[in-house]
Amino acid sequence: MSIIQRAAWVSAVGVSVVVGGGASTAQASEVRLGGAGATFPAPLYTKWVSEYEKVEPGIKIDYRSIGSGGGVKAITDKTVAFGASDAPLTKKEIEAMGGEDKIVQFPAVIGGVVPAYNLPGLSQPLNFSGDVLADIFMGKISTWDDPRLQELNSGVSLPKLAITPAFRTDGSGTTHVFTSYLATQSLAFKGEIGAGKQVKWPLGQGGKGNEGVAAVIQQTAGSIGYIEQNYAVANKIAYGAVKNKAGKFIIATPETMSVAGEGAATTLKGTVLRADIWDQPGDKTYPISAFTYIIVYKDLSNLKTDAEAKALVGFLNWAISGGQKFATDMDYAPLSSGVKTAVDTALSGLSHNGKPIK
Amino acid sequence: MTTDASAISAAAPSPNASGGPARSLRRSFRFGDAMLGLVCRGSAAIIALMLGALVLVLLTSAMPAIKQFGLGFLVSSEWRVNELERPLKDAAGQVVMEDGEIVMETIKPAFGALPVIYGTAMSSLIALAIAVPLSFGAALFLVRVAPTLRIAGPLSFLIEFLAAIPSLAYGIWGLFVLAPFLQSHVGPAIKATLENVPGLRWMFYESVTIAGTVVERPIPITGRDMLCGSLVLAIMILPIVTSVSRDVLKAVPRTQIEGTLALGATWWQSCVAMLRYGRSGLFGAVMLGLARAAGETMAITMVIGNNNQINPSPFAPAQTMASLLANEFAEASEGLHQASLLYVALVLLVMSLLFNVIARRLVVGKASPAGH
Amino acid sequence: MASARFETRRLTSDAMFGVCAACAAVIVTLLLLVSGYLVFIGAGAINLSFFTDVPTGDVAQPGGMRHAIEGTLILLALAAAIGVPLGVASGVYLSEYSHEWLFASPMRFIADVLTGVPSIVVGILGYELVVVPVSRWTSNSVSFSGYAGAAALAFIMIPIVARTTEEMLRLVPKTYREGSLALGASKAQTVLRVVLPSAFGSISTGIMLAIARVAGETAPLLFTALGSRLLTRDPSEPFPSLTLQIYTYATGPYPEQKNLAWAGILVLLAILFVVNLLIRVVASRHAATRMGKS
Repeated sequence: MSIIQRAAWVSAVGVSVVVGGGASTAQASEVRLGGAGATFPAPLYTKWVSEYEKVEPGIKIDYRSIGSGGGVKAITDKTVAFGASDAPLTKKEIEAMGGEDKIVQFPAVIGGVVPAYNLPGLSQPLNFSGDVLADIFMGKISTWDDPRLQELNSGVSLPKLAITPAFRTDGSGTTHVFTSYLATQSLAFKGEIGAGKQVKWPLGQGGKGNEGVAAVIQQTAGSIGYIEQNYAVANKIAYGAVKNKAGKFIIATPETMSVAGEGAATTLKGTVLRADIWDQPGDKTYPISAFTYIIVYKDLSNLKTDAEAKALVGFLNWAISGGQKFATDMDYAPLSSGVKTAVDTALSGLSHNGKPIK
Repeated sequence: MTTDASAISAAAPSPNASGGPARSLRRSFRFGDAMLGLVCRGSAAIIALMLGALVLVLLTSAMPAIKQFGLGFLVSSEWRVNELERPLKDAAGQVVMEDGEIVMETIKPAFGALPVIYGTAMSSLIALAIAVPLSFGAALFLVRVAPTLRIAGPLSFLIEFLAAIPSLAYGIWGLFVLAPFLQSHVGPAIKATLENVPGLRWMFYESVTIAGTVVERPIPITGRDMLCGSLVLAIMILPIVTSVSRDVLKAVPRTQIEGTLALGATWWQSCVAMLRYGRSGLFGAVMLGLARAAGETMAITMVIGNNNQINPSPFAPAQTMASLLANEFAEASEGLHQASLLYVALVLLVMSLLFNVIARRLVVGKASPAGH
Repeated sequence: MASARFETRRLTSDAMFGVCAACAAVIVTLLLLVSGYLVFIGAGAINLSFFTDVPTGDVAQPGGMRHAIEGTLILLALAAAIGVPLGVASGVYLSEYSHEWLFASPMRFIADVLTGVPSIVVGILGYELVVVPVSRWTSNSVSFSGYAGAAALAFIMIPIVARTTEEMLRLVPKTYREGSLALGASKAQTVLRVVLPSAFGSISTGIMLAIARVAGETAPLLFTALGSRLLTRDPSEPFPSLTLQIYTYATGPYPEQKNLAWAGILVLLAILFVVNLLIRVVASRHAATRMGKS
């Protein structure tokens, strides 16, 4: 056999493998959708996807938790069917996507960011306040036995251990929520570090995604990081109570987060819905609560077929109705009925290449 | 060559065209040769296109950042993606008030590559400082001793196989084995020994400026820091530096060694002579190691702590150019941020190309290109 | 005096002999420690469902990595389909057309230089050159793709294959070419029927080496193939790869996923070990036959 023949044979096999494989997926009447973005709601979205596959077996959705920044970028570049972000779109980002009338942004669920820490041998949850958290992440409070921490936790014997803040290295809605909250609590924090999806932390260890920060906390004694509550619970990482506007120390639970979202329903108007729900009043309100958003184009022309558009709309409608019951199990808070009504209205305007979706 | 061949072609027809008249034979020869030339020249041209595309794409996409920051990018140490809002202060340092309200100023995002350049340079240099002496020693052993013990073959295979282990594997080992060990044993031991030695305080304490005041705080020993990153890099470049140095030393003429031995040199003195003879090649091996360490991504991202800062302490987390790209590129949605990352990529590319060019020049023909 | 100095020299020499031996021992132990640990933990984590199951979405029972193993194999096949013909053809050029030095020697230099491009930079190039344009042209919903990943891997393969092919062709004795031409074969016939076949073994070794090299790459795929938890054979979609999946699992907090990462590393190492062993066997057999002939 000459070398040409051999080469031809080898490449023929290679091509037939690939083509054959491609053809086999094309034959199946399966609709595939890609979504990407926030890691904050990722455990819930993954659950939604696997539950929805039971409802609609022909629809396969791949949600990639790559960070809110990545989610916004992916939907702007039209590389995904839907984007997910904990931070609502900024004016600039809305412009980049073609303006407010081209987009639908809606809250999918409420989550809480918790201060999670690794202090071996401590049984009860610690108490934190906004300004103490701000000073910890700025490096002003550098050991666990600092008098200001001790003051919030009288009766707890705090170790003389250096504090390692753990933070997100990627663009992240969790960072946005946490820094926005801290910026309302400390003017120094606002001026030095500021709020945003990605900020410059003066010290500490970086991890990629909520997963990465959770891993850093697990592996580092004396560390404290900010993660979505679900990640703390799922990985058995201790997390503390945070002092709310009413001066009460509140642990994040679906109930305490839900309360924070109640007031928002009246402010949600149009198709680009947004409301900041951190630092809300009320005795039982968890102060670092936030909506997490899903972003799609109003006209789903970024999707190839009507079937894909229909599948996406079906999934989104299910997520805010049937899907909400999974939220509480996974330590998120479901949308209140007022918020859901606003979302329903926003979603009703979706179309594909100008045609309404039936 | 081609004309010679066609001139005598009629005398010995090829199996392909047996029996055909000489003229058509010649034509098919010319056609086949032309096709081969076309395909081969075209493919070779694609290699040039690849380099061209690489440079061009990075350059054009990084242009907004290059225009904005110029070469100052390389020496600026601020990397802040978000805007800051802080109270405006006048020349005397007083907060400016207007109508009883604090006037706020907005500070634009800033991008500077110095922290990652520092992180890359420092981690690579420490890695080289550890790996190069070990590699040279081992290379001498492989060339001068191992053959007599009949273990050169297996040892070489082992080292070549280890050079083929992907960086992901080294990263996972570093993350789950080395880092916890450094955190629980090595770090505390070093701290206990050296903490009170005058002049070494910088290794264990850092000064942070918070709202204008300087606060000194202990650096927490986390295991994922410059030290761990450098150690993992050192382990990763050991096989490549060893195998290239071995090839270089092997190429030293036997007469060189025999000559020194005949003059009464000891074993070690003849080794020194060998090292001296092969010094340019050995330097090339070092440069190859450096290029590999500087461009290394996955392992370093997992163990270096990922903090964009310049801190001389080996226990402080750091960031390299490659790890910055791995961490931030996928999420960079804002124009200048992405352009700045591409600028970093361009710097990284130019640097590693430079190291490679130097290395290739010095080890011409002595290192197999595939081994790298 | 003189003998004392000689004694010191001898002692130094002996000491340095020990140091060199120790260096070799340290390197071997260190590297065995690394790979041994990976194999040991991986062996405890691997089971049949690793190869047969796909991810479930449940972090406590994450399923297997069948999608990632298939994904990597398809990515490698695609990358080889692009990279091997181009690489071999340019290798043939560098060797058989080296008299065109004005073009050939810069190409050789560029190929060398390209082998040193950091793989993360190749990934970024893949993103800018394939992912972004494709999503602009097609306004497709998903433009991270297996094709983009394969292109990035091929980018790494081409210069390696080109340079090895060249070196292997140079080892083919000149007399073969002269003999073939003297018998009346054309240049194309000489190259395709005499030169290439006689270097077939060593060239395929080089190709295997290049494939092994890219099989372990993660960084070029981060922004191109992106990874996927779905079992897909359509390379126009975001595509799973063993290395990407291992990286995701290893850097996350879930112990069950970390187990899968360890098992994945073991599989990767096993593949690389077999390929390297194979290469060594082929290479040594080839060297032996060549020596026997000459």
